[in-house]
Amino acid sequence: MGLTLAPHTSPNDSAHATTVIAVRYQGGVVMVGDRQATGFYIASRDVRKIEPADHFTALAISGSAARAIELLKITQLSFEHYEKMTGSALSLEGKANYLSPIIQRNNLTSPLLVVPLLAGWDESNLVGRIFEYDGAGGCYERFDFAAIGSGSPFAEGTLRLGFRADLDREAALELGALALYEAGDNDPSTGGPDFVRNIYPMMVTLNEQGFQELSVDEVGERFRVINVRRTESGGVAGGALR
Amino acid sequence: MSNYFYVAPEQLIKDRAEFAQKGIARGRSIVAAIYDKGVILVAENPSASLNKVSEIYDRIAFAGAGKYNEFDRLREAGIRWADSTGFTYSREDVDARALANYYAQHLGDMFTEGQKPLEVEILVAQLGNKLRPTKLYRIAYEGTISDEPRFAVLGGDSETIKTRFAHAEESIEPLNVTLRNATNALAGPERTIPAAELEVGILEDRGHRRTFSRLSDVQVSELLG
Repeated sequence: MGLTLAPHTSPNDSAHATTVIAVRYQGGVVMVGDRQATGFYIASRDVRKIEPADHFTALAISGSAARAIELLKITQLSFEHYEKMTGSALSLEGKANYLSPIIQRNNLTSPLLVVPLLAGWDESNLVGRIFEYDGAGGCYERFDFAAIGSGSPFAEGTLRLGFRADLDREAALELGALALYEAGDNDPSTGGPDFVRNIYPMMVTLNEQGFQELSVDEVGERFRVINVRRTESGGVAGGALR
Repeated sequence: MSNYFYVAPEQLIKDRAEFAQKGIARGRSIVAAIYDKGVILVAENPSASLNKVSEIYDRIAFAGAGKYNEFDRLREAGIRWADSTGFTYSREDVDARALANYYAQHLGDMFTEGQKPLEVEILVAQLGNKLRPTKLYRIAYEGTISDEPRFAVLGGDSETIKTRFAHAEESIEPLNVTLRNATNALAGPERTIPAAELEVGILEDRGHRRTFSRLSDVQVSELLG
């Protein structure tokens, strides 16, 4: 699994060839992530960049694949370890803060950068919450949406136009899929829907039921609808969010 | 100048064993048993937050009788051992037999070389899968491990409870029957233990990686019927 390969195969890479976005809605968070690992060539088409960190939390990764996977493993281990040792799970804020020093230590001592995105269901406050990080480990809560990776400018454009505070799950899934479609369309390091191989971006929801991943069929159908619309309009969004 | 008196090793071991046994006998007991779909651990425990039964790993549970602070430290060491082994190698390499040996060595060392022996009796339970069998390992205060075939009793009045449970449960039964037999064995003929004073944990496959779960007072009452 790789997002970017090591620097000698992909020099000067600071873009973290990826797009993963998180959108907050009434009752949870939607996350959408592309599936492509990029070096000088496409190294893999079916990478999972969003994984459950525990039952109520998802961690999305961008940057060096090796470091990102290590970060994911240590995070999963630590959350479970804390829960078993103390008999109760960490708070969502506690989980978000846990990552900061690890990112700082990695990014300030190594050219193999990693920038994650954490989203989860806050069991104490009964809301979905999103936390993004800068390269030095700074942790910032986002109350609307967040995007990481090289495709994030394109995804953010869509998110900024389409986001409303009162989105429901369905609207958030639709907006998330559209934002990722845009990123896949414009960013060479972001894999869009692959109708030939039947590989689609990952879509997950985090709500009171915990981490849930949408089936390949459901995700495929969502992207097929966008694709048909876009084909009809000749490849332009047509001045509307569609 | 201090004087050293000769104490025969037999006497030393006997004194230490008596000391540990007395400490363990003060606490209440625990029954662990295999039922048709998994492993159940039933402890008589009036506290809802100071646990005697807990999760160690995906398919491993722990129970401790005797001095709380001593077995809780062993529980923590077990979780640390299991999490670091699983992280370093693979989750499937975390094995209850290895953990039981780790505990046995520590208890054995404390018994012979420590300031005082640990006043605990612990149990490591493993839910089997295609790689490993379902197992109950009981580890005594001096480090003796016993591999218990169907059930194990820890703590104070263990011989009596063992006889009562063996008499009631002659074969592998479903969860509710095993829970009822374990509760009756712990209580004895003269009293009943209310659900709120039972701590119950189970290891059972329900499609998740982590198989341990605690049964709430409501679930326990329903199962006891």
